[in-house]
Amino acid sequence: MSSCVLDEETFCRCCQLFLEHSHSLCDGWSWQLVKGSEEGYLRKVALGNVRIRTSSNPNQITDQYIQGASSDQRQGRTSPFTPHKENDDDHNDEQYYDDDDGAVCCMQDSRSSGVIQYEYHILYSYSYQTPVLYFRASTLEGRSLSLEEVWDGVHPNYRQRLQHGPWDTITQQEHPLLGQSFFVLHPCRTEEFMRPVLQAALEEHRQVNYVVTWLSVVGPVVGLDVPLSYCTKVPAPSHTSPSPLQPPALQTQPD
Amino acid sequence: MIADDKDVLRDVWFGRIPTCFTLYQDEVTEREAEPFYLLLPRVSYLTLVTDKVKKHFLKVMKAEDVEEIWFEYEGTPLKWHYPIGLLFDLHASNTSLPWSITVHFKNFPERDLLHCPCNSVIEAHFMSSIKEADALKHKSQVINDMQKKDHKQLWMGLQNDKFDQFWAINRKLMEYPTEEGGFRYIPFRIYLTMSDRPFIQKLFRPISPDGHTHTLGDLLKEVYPVAIANEAKRYQVVIHGIEPLLETPLQWLSEHLSHPDNFLHISVIPAPSD
Repeated sequence: MSSCVLDEETFCRCCQLFLEHSHSLCDGWSWQLVKGSEEGYLRKVALGNVRIRTSSNPNQITDQYIQGASSDQRQGRTSPFTPHKENDDDHNDEQYYDDDDGAVCCMQDSRSSGVIQYEYHILYSYSYQTPVLYFRASTLEGRSLSLEEVWDGVHPNYRQRLQHGPWDTITQQEHPLLGQSFFVLHPCRTEEFMRPVLQAALEEHRQVNYVVTWLSVVGPVVGLDVPLSYCTKVPAPSHTSPSPLQPPALQTQPD
Repeated sequence: MIADDKDVLRDVWFGRIPTCFTLYQDEVTEREAEPFYLLLPRVSYLTLVTDKVKKHFLKVMKAEDVEEIWFEYEGTPLKWHYPIGLLFDLHASNTSLPWSITVHFKNFPERDLLHCPCNSVIEAHFMSSIKEADALKHKSQVINDMQKKDHKQLWMGLQNDKFDQFWAINRKLMEYPTEEGGFRYIPFRIYLTMSDRPFIQKLFRPISPDGHTHTLGDLLKEVYPVAIANEAKRYQVVIHGIEPLLETPLQWLSEHLSHPDNFLHISVIPAPSD
């Protein structure tokens, strides 16, 4: 059954239901329309606190990265996807990931603390027929975070898995509706991790809001907090086909 | 594929654009920088083929004045992740040759351009496009059945301008079950110059449910009718620098005029007003 594939209409309906819950929580999501079209996407802006790499002069960060990035004789790194390995000490890991603001990572040593603005977009991918998560981050002064800095915000538990290949990872891509640079979690493996969830739901006669389920998996990887109530409170979009089976709890039991 | 069609594949692959690279006037140099001339392959990517350009300008600059290279045409930053031919058709189609591109080493436009620190980023982007195209054409079955060395061969073929090496593998991505009559969906993007939105990409089948062949005209009518709706012929629909007839079957276009990334990159530009 093609239950693992998400068509655009169902995506939109899932998003609508998602949005209703977001409004009730004041969770900050909104629906953005593309000018001159019926297409849209979910958007959220969140502020987080991150220790960003810097020397004494915060303006030097940009130079540090761009120069390092443009040199073909960079030492050590063969791939831009290898995240910075400075803080692999075990005892640093527990203070590594701070969930409070939904978008945080704390690091040690010579770093200054800065407020980072994260912007998350959820779009529909026609090619993969799944949602896709786009995001970007910048300081309040408007400096965009580099890929390395973004990697610093990825929980160490996820980093290893994300390094397996260029299709399992975070890359910089052009936003298909806005034309600007964003980071993306590649969508080609979405079906793989969604399939068991959707299959199980089918067998248990439960319905699933694809977008909620999907976001609860990919969101935390990039520091996006998805409160548990989304998973319990947001319904699946109703189908137009003959009435779907009710979950057992809702069926009236004869005495 | 008949013999004549193979010529089309070669013509597409070996298309070149004569280009003149000039250093941005505000860059700090130790002596005057001469412009640099180069024939750019339409099907490749700016950052992949401009090592010589970079070396040429670095000769007159100090290391501390050099950051990541980026290119601009008449004030518009050029997206290196778009094929060169697409950039030309989109921005400079009806201008005189050589194409004049300005080279920058400072003030990288972070919001508009993707970073390109090394060739493996280009490779990742290229392979990602191929994978996406195959998701549309074959539900990713063909690309996933290939070995890693085949994937590598596609990239090496592009990087080293080796037509035969590339097509030895790419031909498999151009096959389809005979009974289907074509790919599942056609990988295409329609690029607009007169919009905030960079491109349109939708699901579109090469064969209609009742079996008739969809043409380029059918695609535009469905997905971007503005391009052909006008009688005054205000727009040109350009692929690889030419305007294919709207009656051309989309399946044929996909097999023969796709870029190496397996996408049909279609530009809709204002027609020249002479």
